[in-house]
Amino acid sequence: MRQLCKGNVAVVKGAILAGCRGYYGYPITPASEIAEAAALYFPQVGGTFIQAESEVAAINMVYGAAAAGVRVMSGSSGPGLSLMQEGMSYLAGSELPCVIVDVMRGGPGLGNIAPEQSDYFAMVKGGGHGNYRNIVLAPASVQEMADLTMLAFELADKYRNPAVVLTDGFVGQMMEPLELEDHEIQPPEKPWAVKGTPETRANLISSIFLETDELEEHQRRMEAKYIRAQAAEPRCEVCRTDDAEVLLVGYGIVSRVLLSTVEALRKDGVKAGLFRPITLWPYPVKELEHAARNVQKVLVVELSNGQMVEDVRLALNGKVPVEFYGRVGGNVPSVRELQEQVLTRMAVAV
Amino acid sequence: MAGQARGKVTVDVEECKGCGLCVESCPPKCLELVPELSVYGFHPARYTGHDCTGCGICFYCCPEPGAITVYRIKAKAKPLASTATSTSTSLQGGEHAAAL
Repeated sequence: MRQLCKGNVAVVKGAILAGCRGYYGYPITPASEIAEAAALYFPQVGGTFIQAESEVAAINMVYGAAAAGVRVMSGSSGPGLSLMQEGMSYLAGSELPCVIVDVMRGGPGLGNIAPEQSDYFAMVKGGGHGNYRNIVLAPASVQEMADLTMLAFELADKYRNPAVVLTDGFVGQMMEPLELEDHEIQPPEKPWAVKGTPETRANLISSIFLETDELEEHQRRMEAKYIRAQAAEPRCEVCRTDDAEVLLVGYGIVSRVLLSTVEALRKDGVKAGLFRPITLWPYPVKELEHAARNVQKVLVVELSNGQMVEDVRLALNGKVPVEFYGRVGGNVPSVRELQEQVLTRMAVAV
Repeated sequence: MAGQARGKVTVDVEECKGCGLCVESCPPKCLELVPELSVYGFHPARYTGHDCTGCGICFYCCPEPGAITVYRIKAKAKPLASTATSTSTSLQGGEHAAAL
């Protein structure tokens, strides 16, 4: 069924179709509609919605439900995610699957409620303590808000690790057509969970390993699954990269402005291409290398002062000059603005 | 064009963060940000008091659930007879979860 839907609401609809039955969160603009829709829909499908007293409480409720083997999620924006970082480290350390949605807004501090992409470091590099990774997916449309939330649940369970849907106030707030699957996914059996049954009585969910060797072994095991994820899970979208001289790189809402910029530049006679990572961790390194193999220049565009650009530089490792253009504070660059950026930079390059 | 208002907007000052999206989106431009600060330090939106058509676009674009309520004014009842000297307008329910 095709419907007009807000990005934040699509997240909840996707989650329910993925078999998620627990939502614990605290409302925050521009992610409040996630809590609002969860409060509306979760009870209708026999799920649980709790508005916690804070994000710290919410993430620990997520920990509890995940330990009991339930598909569970929370959603917030920058300030709330800062509070959740401790819990996310514990979830990763205890190898518990969950999905956290970050609808990024302007920061630091309270910032504002307009879209930014400034939580990239916090989510992709890990804002919590210890050696851990979040699986991070970056939707660019309302449709993907639902689809990638469903994928996030699948990956979280596959790797027993928190997965983050990293989006921005723009994608969260906008309304677009949404087509939902007509069937629901049955969550997998989780024999490791603590369900209060005699069979699961011996199971233990913990992130504490006081013996040094024991903790090292635990971390090596986590590392091994991260390596597996890095090999199997990178996803990206490329457009007109085959003959591109300049490669534009951006994720989320920026990638859509970049797509129009590519078309506009082609009309100007500049062979431009687009690379859009869908998984921010694991980063699609090989795919980016391939897309950039013949270009003279790479321009990374973000709604930040330069965060993902570091991963692009690491991936390309000096093979191609990587430049950066960012807007912050909730401003989104226009196609004309980006067109001019590319034209000036390419004029210098030639 | 100042005509008979067909709707009314109320803004919950406790919820509004003064982002201005409703002001921007309102077709008849009947919303504004107040110059005074709210207790939270924002300039909340308010209805200027005229020209609202009850379209609800401000409601749909508001990122703050519960901050905006749009009322549509029922069409005036047709005068029954010469005895009908006045017809009252009444406010009809808010637009809420219908959007979901």
